[in-house]
Amino acid sequence: MIDWLTGPYAYDFMQRAMIAALIVGALAPAVGVWIVLRRMAYLGDAMSHATLGGVAVAYLLGASLVIGALAAGLVMAAIMSLLAVQPKLREDAVIGIAQVTLFAAGLMIIAKADTGAIDLSHLLLGSITTVSAEDLRVDLLLGGTCALLLAFIFGDLRTATLDPEHAKTVGVRVNLLRAALLTILAIVVVLSLQTVGLLLSVALLVVPAATARLWTRTVLQMTIVATAIGMGSTFVGLTASWHADTPPGATIALVCVGVLVASLVATLPRRATATDDHLPISKDRIGVL
Amino acid sequence: MHNDLNYPSIEARDLGVDLAGREVLKGISFSLKPGEQVAVVGPNGAGKTTLLRALMGLVPRRGDVVMHGRGPRPAAFVAQRSDLDLDFPATVFQLISCGRRSPTGRHRWRRRADRQATERALARVGLDGLQDRGLRELSGGQLQRAFLARALVQDADILLLDEPFAAVDSETVESICELLNSLASEQRTILTVSHDLPLVRTHFDRCLTMNRTLIADGHPDEVLRSDELERLIFSQ
Repeated sequence: MIDWLTGPYAYDFMQRAMIAALIVGALAPAVGVWIVLRRMAYLGDAMSHATLGGVAVAYLLGASLVIGALAAGLVMAAIMSLLAVQPKLREDAVIGIAQVTLFAAGLMIIAKADTGAIDLSHLLLGSITTVSAEDLRVDLLLGGTCALLLAFIFGDLRTATLDPEHAKTVGVRVNLLRAALLTILAIVVVLSLQTVGLLLSVALLVVPAATARLWTRTVLQMTIVATAIGMGSTFVGLTASWHADTPPGATIALVCVGVLVASLVATLPRRATATDDHLPISKDRIGVL
Repeated sequence: MHNDLNYPSIEARDLGVDLAGREVLKGISFSLKPGEQVAVVGPNGAGKTTLLRALMGLVPRRGDVVMHGRGPRPAAFVAQRSDLDLDFPATVFQLISCGRRSPTGRHRWRRRADRQATERALARVGLDGLQDRGLRELSGGQLQRAFLARALVQDADILLLDEPFAAVDSETVESICELLNSLASEQRTILTVSHDLPLVRTHFDRCLTMNRTLIADGHPDEVLRSDELERLIFSQ
């Protein structure tokens, strides 16, 4: 068993892959907690698609793909924040508009500059075994910055997510907070590029957080458990992919889903006995007018 | 004593609100003294909730609103609860302590003083012992008291309450009334939207009736007479 777990990490490239996977495995679920609680799972998926345009432009310019994806993610966050001030546009519509704009732009750029040089499969499915030492430094810098920012705004995020109107009355700048969360989300999606790929990044964002919700009673507990599930799943998934010769990103995603299914089964008795003990409306107090 | 009795706690002058191109409130003027408990009564759609939200600055408004209190945020607002996610992973203690955010945005980490203030608020609304419960584990009345406690921890001199007596049992109504009396005796000003006319008649000394604009301002026995109510309902 020990050999099965440690064998793959005799190689330098697998050690780097594991560190990169653990960074994303820890950070994505911590951000995903807020995505799940704010019912913005669709946003995680949309954000990953939207980064395509930035990656394509960066590739054509010979710039860092990470920087290109990050710029696209930030543009997505900016578009959403701008559209959010129009109350007639619901949030899912705003997400769809921003996603389709950037995804379509990415496809256009790739089509117009079609030299066959852009290999989308690495972006879409990840290529974790190609992580370099330089990539790791970028991952650590961006990941550490996001983790610190997330910790700093944790209390305000909880207040604003629980009750946005009350949050405004106590001085929380709800729209600024939302923009900060979108920015962090964009960075996490970028970090997921090499690990699980754009298409599966939503798996690490949403599935560990949803699983943690089944077991926990507070946001802090949810964050800790989601992070543990994310890191555990990336380790097991990466190791299993080595032995089974399967795509690492897809294997990690399926391990996450496996933990979710096991949790659903394990918590079924508890959820079945949960009761809603709200008192009924007292009819004698209903108003006259 | 929190307020100077010589100054009004709240003064609204020619307050108006337009929402989605429609004039929802117009020409509302009134002032409330420290320690007053005032009810706001009006038919559905009269703009009662909008009035409270306008006073809190939660919707764009015309006219002037002046609030006097000790801190930079003199007023606390208890909204109706229909839109709150009761499955949110938070304990009652955490819900109440959300009201303790410092006005400057500093001190986000909970300090001892914040914990003590939250415990005092819990005790004052009779929820001590329930602080570790989840939101869905509370009854409607307990939840309403938790929201009042969240307003109390803000230590505001003015409390704006939107239907605090709705959907709660009669025992909770009595306990909320006792709490409001206690707060008023500390010279805190309380403005409460309510549909419960019998309760307004027995508990409040002053009542504002409104239907997009202010219709009457006086003692409930006067402004809630049948002819006044008829004028209120058919005023728009």
